[in-house]
Amino acid sequence: MEIKAIGCEPLQLKRMHVKDGHTLKVYQETGGYKSLKKAVGMSQDDIINEVKASSLRGRGGAGFPTGMKWSFVPRQSPKPKYVVCNADESEPGSFKDRYLLERDPHAVIEGMIIAGFALGASTGYIYFRGEYNYLIHIVDAALEEARAAGILGDNILGSGFSMNIHTHTGAGAYICGEETALLSSLEGFRGHPRMKPPFPAVEGLYASPTVVNNVETFTSVPQIIEMGGTVWRDLGTEKSGGTKLWSISGHVKRPGVYELPMGYSDMEKFIMEDCGGMLRDDKKLKAVIPGGSSVYIMNADQILGKNVTLDYEGLVEAGSMLGTGGMMVMDETVDIMESTKNLTEFYRHESCGWCTPCREGTDWLVKVFNRIADGGGRPEDAQLLLDICDNIEGKSFCPLGDAAAWPIQSAIKRFPEDFKKWINKF
Amino acid sequence: MSAELIKVTINGTEYEVDKGRRLIDVCHENGYGIPSFCYYGDLEVQASCRMCLVRIDKMPKLQTSCTISCTDGMVVTTTSEEIEKAQRSMGEFLLANHPLDCPVCDRGGECELQEVIFDWGDVEERFAENKNAKAEKYLSPIVANDPQRCIVCKRCTRVCHEWMGEDAIEAGNRGANTVIGTYGGWLNCSQCGNCIEVCPTGTLLDGTYRHETRPWELDQTVSTDPYGSDGMQISIGTRGGKVHRVVARDRYVNGLNGEFLDVKARFAHDFVCSADRVKTPMIRYKKGGKLIPATWDDAIAHVAAKFREFGKNVGVVASPRLSNEAVFTLKRFAQEVVKSDSYAVSDVADQAPFFNNLSAPLCTHKEIRYATTILLVGGEPEEEQSFTAKQIRQAVRNGGAKLIVVNDTPIRLVSSASQFVHINPCSYDAFVAAFIGGDKSAAKKAGIDAKEIDAIRKTIDETEGEFILMVGGELSANAQAALAGTASKFGGENRRALLHPLPRYNNSVGAHDMTAGRKSVEEVAKDARALLIGGSLQNASIIDGKDFVVVQELFLTDTTLRADVVLPAASFAEADGTFTNNSGYVQRVRQALEPLNQAKADWMITSLIAREMGVDFGYNFAATAVFKAIADSVAAYEGLRYPHLKDESRPASAKYEIADRDVADALKALSESAASLPDETEKISETPKIGHKLHRLTTMTSKTPQFHLLANGNPKPDSLFVSPLVQFNLDGTKRESEAAA
Repeated sequence: MEIKAIGCEPLQLKRMHVKDGHTLKVYQETGGYKSLKKAVGMSQDDIINEVKASSLRGRGGAGFPTGMKWSFVPRQSPKPKYVVCNADESEPGSFKDRYLLERDPHAVIEGMIIAGFALGASTGYIYFRGEYNYLIHIVDAALEEARAAGILGDNILGSGFSMNIHTHTGAGAYICGEETALLSSLEGFRGHPRMKPPFPAVEGLYASPTVVNNVETFTSVPQIIEMGGTVWRDLGTEKSGGTKLWSISGHVKRPGVYELPMGYSDMEKFIMEDCGGMLRDDKKLKAVIPGGSSVYIMNADQILGKNVTLDYEGLVEAGSMLGTGGMMVMDETVDIMESTKNLTEFYRHESCGWCTPCREGTDWLVKVFNRIADGGGRPEDAQLLLDICDNIEGKSFCPLGDAAAWPIQSAIKRFPEDFKKWINKF
Repeated sequence: MSAELIKVTINGTEYEVDKGRRLIDVCHENGYGIPSFCYYGDLEVQASCRMCLVRIDKMPKLQTSCTISCTDGMVVTTTSEEIEKAQRSMGEFLLANHPLDCPVCDRGGECELQEVIFDWGDVEERFAENKNAKAEKYLSPIVANDPQRCIVCKRCTRVCHEWMGEDAIEAGNRGANTVIGTYGGWLNCSQCGNCIEVCPTGTLLDGTYRHETRPWELDQTVSTDPYGSDGMQISIGTRGGKVHRVVARDRYVNGLNGEFLDVKARFAHDFVCSADRVKTPMIRYKKGGKLIPATWDDAIAHVAAKFREFGKNVGVVASPRLSNEAVFTLKRFAQEVVKSDSYAVSDVADQAPFFNNLSAPLCTHKEIRYATTILLVGGEPEEEQSFTAKQIRQAVRNGGAKLIVVNDTPIRLVSSASQFVHINPCSYDAFVAAFIGGDKSAAKKAGIDAKEIDAIRKTIDETEGEFILMVGGELSANAQAALAGTASKFGGENRRALLHPLPRYNNSVGAHDMTAGRKSVEEVAKDARALLIGGSLQNASIIDGKDFVVVQELFLTDTTLRADVVLPAASFAEADGTFTNNSGYVQRVRQALEPLNQAKADWMITSLIAREMGVDFGYNFAATAVFKAIADSVAAYEGLRYPHLKDESRPASAKYEIADRDVADALKALSESAASLPDETEKISETPKIGHKLHRLTTMTSKTPQFHLLANGNPKPDSLFVSPLVQFNLDGTKRESEAAA
């Protein structure tokens, strides 16, 4: 398990290898809460403008510009405002937030307080996925330390601004990583997505203005305040600012969490050199899912020699998406029909059941995959799978439907032999 | 409030619509049939079935028309190859795990899923996998459930939450395993059955109707609820001379209640075709003897001869369950045949003082739904006027209305209230004296603080829009008079005051209208030597020792026990007539069945006796003629005829006199009454159990076996797969297994 920065100074990973980095003492010794001190001396608009200037894009997968999201929150609101940290890191292939929360929880807290100050929110929630239960104790301890030190609670650092942050755990539902479903779950309801509009910035938690951001988004905020939006942006590219954490798993020698500047060039170098190359030297690279399970799968031809840059634009150009940066590398021993079946089973299991296409579609897809795997494949099955995906894509209530369809569509298109083999196998 | 008009283009035609209207509604109104399952007007939008997809120019994807508000210049396409493919694919998804057992499904023939799929025709089924099987089961004695047919539109959970405020059902599990379930595995709710009504498929089923017949074999007769005073419109499904079911489905009825009904209106219809009905006229020739069947001719002759003997000493009592026609004819009998003013209505909560002191108009149920402030004094609408209660809940929940509840009991509606004025038991007189009359010492007697009354006044004064004052039937005559007589004073510049009575019975209002100048039942029973009674009395012992009693009834009751002649009357489903509801709507009751056995309509029985005694009412056996006679003699009904009552969506109202009233005497009496109340009493703290009035066994409801289980605690059976009626005796005790024998 490798945790390191490549091509840049470790920012997100600054305290990963520092002993007791999760404690307030060490956090402050290594420069923590300086940004907060600076922020409470700034105006709310200045903070938002810095974040806008940084080109920080949401790290949860959708990549929505964070500064823009914050500016949607009404300045004057008769209702309380909320800041919610989405720590429901449930995208298969992604495990970066877990290390941030485990080893650098104060960075998340600092980012949330700055966000709360900028937006005028006096309550924050950190929503953990059910499986991250053990992290709650670490974060709760950090919150307690911060409270005791006057960093959290009433009159933060003597600024007159008060805010509190609470932790909350989900019950293990992938859908609760979707921001509106997260809010439903936080309110105590079933974890179902809600209709947008109204967007959470206008009507979110308890029908009040709410900003929901990913863990890594919040940990980026103190860096932006510290070094200034444009400086931070220039670490990366103009449209994708700063650095990004990548979770690498699969058939590489050194899987782990890597921090790369946005626009890192290139993907082949990253896999073949930085991550130590293929796990088994005699096996060739076959496929990569670059951004967590919900993005298009890429074949080797799309990566090798193609100089794919690792940022939002570069991966779209290469035929996939950055997503959460959960990169899964597969060598030639992997059967893409089977790996896609596995993912589809995940989406069937995690579909919340709210809307027809996702609920019934994923169920149907799994049944077809199972039949193929059991030797009952039919020549028309590939087309049937594509049709079902087409009927789900763009028609579901929330993006989970799309997320279930894209891996299958790309797998059939880019690895047709793997499907033909199964259908003609028996 | 006239909304801004904007232009929307649908399929190339331009329409002017109110800004912000929901696109699916606009399309439906203009004849563009967009299929939809989860969308249901006046319920929260769900947007989960994804059927109502349309193409809107400048939007990237197909959009669900139920979530789109119309904006100016919007260009919409509702039919195209792309849209049909998308909609068909949703249909295909919905049918994937659907059992397609239409031939044995109670909903087959009026199933929305079936209709949408059949409308396309040419359906190719590509789903060739095993279906997820889920077993049929019972959720309560009355609600059956076939989860495999469910398309998870969640209309049921939304009506349970939004209409009923009961939250008895909710979705359980996740994804393709989602099922509609109950808390604790058994439905302990008011059993209104609205979840069954709004279900677009055969997932939730009427347990009293299950497997009885196919819907297309039923004759549908639109009529009026024979239980509550809200005048809910129902469709009686009959076949082969039997009532099989009662529904309020939009496709048959377009009444004030939409598809809303309560447990009694929907399920307690077995009494109509009960084997216990009185089948022939019966005469008790000797006091203490048996009732002996007789022919109609003999019975009428016998009654007429006896009544002639008693002359003016014949008293007449009409039940508030009877139609206007029946009550009116009974009153005419008293006035014109025996020439006495000894007539009464056997209502337990007479609202005559309310109606005689109207100072503001009665409100409609629609006005309740959109009211700004509602003050509910007394009553328990959720158990007695269930549709009124539903409108109140929705006004609060969906319309942001303020509800003030004044009651001596923390009724369930208190949970919707913005203010609950918890008065001492039976101290409504004191409350009204304090609230209307400003009597400070009375407030103390009612057990409330003067500030609470100030808070009510403040809320009313701040109201813009409609203020509705609801008056419970159990209030004293003076309290009713004082409230009804001063309601108009709560009106203001931007505020209209309206009144709403809460009478107990289906035709309490009509019976009041028909019998101006009536006496109380007790007075009539005391004065008369002989009685003609339509329906039964609440307390039959008051007619003990009378010389001669004639009862027009459906069943043998405490009253018929004391009768000398029992004449078999037709039920509401066997005779034409009208009821008047608590909004003053005069509503048709239509004959759905030929009268059973030898029964005759009540008004006909009375007029036969009259004719035998030499007075012809001129009805010529036609209900229309009876109603014309009503319209000619009751001022509030002037000019009304049956054809005016034809269209339930445009109801006809009785016109009540509204005037400024002097309530000084009533207030004085209320203060006196308040002064006689004790200073210290214990308040009622317990919220009554759900269904404590709805599930009560009465002459009518007891004929439906499921009501016995509801009344006996609705026990949860060991097996959900077998009807609870098989597993329990009617008294709620477990039935011993017969298989062992």
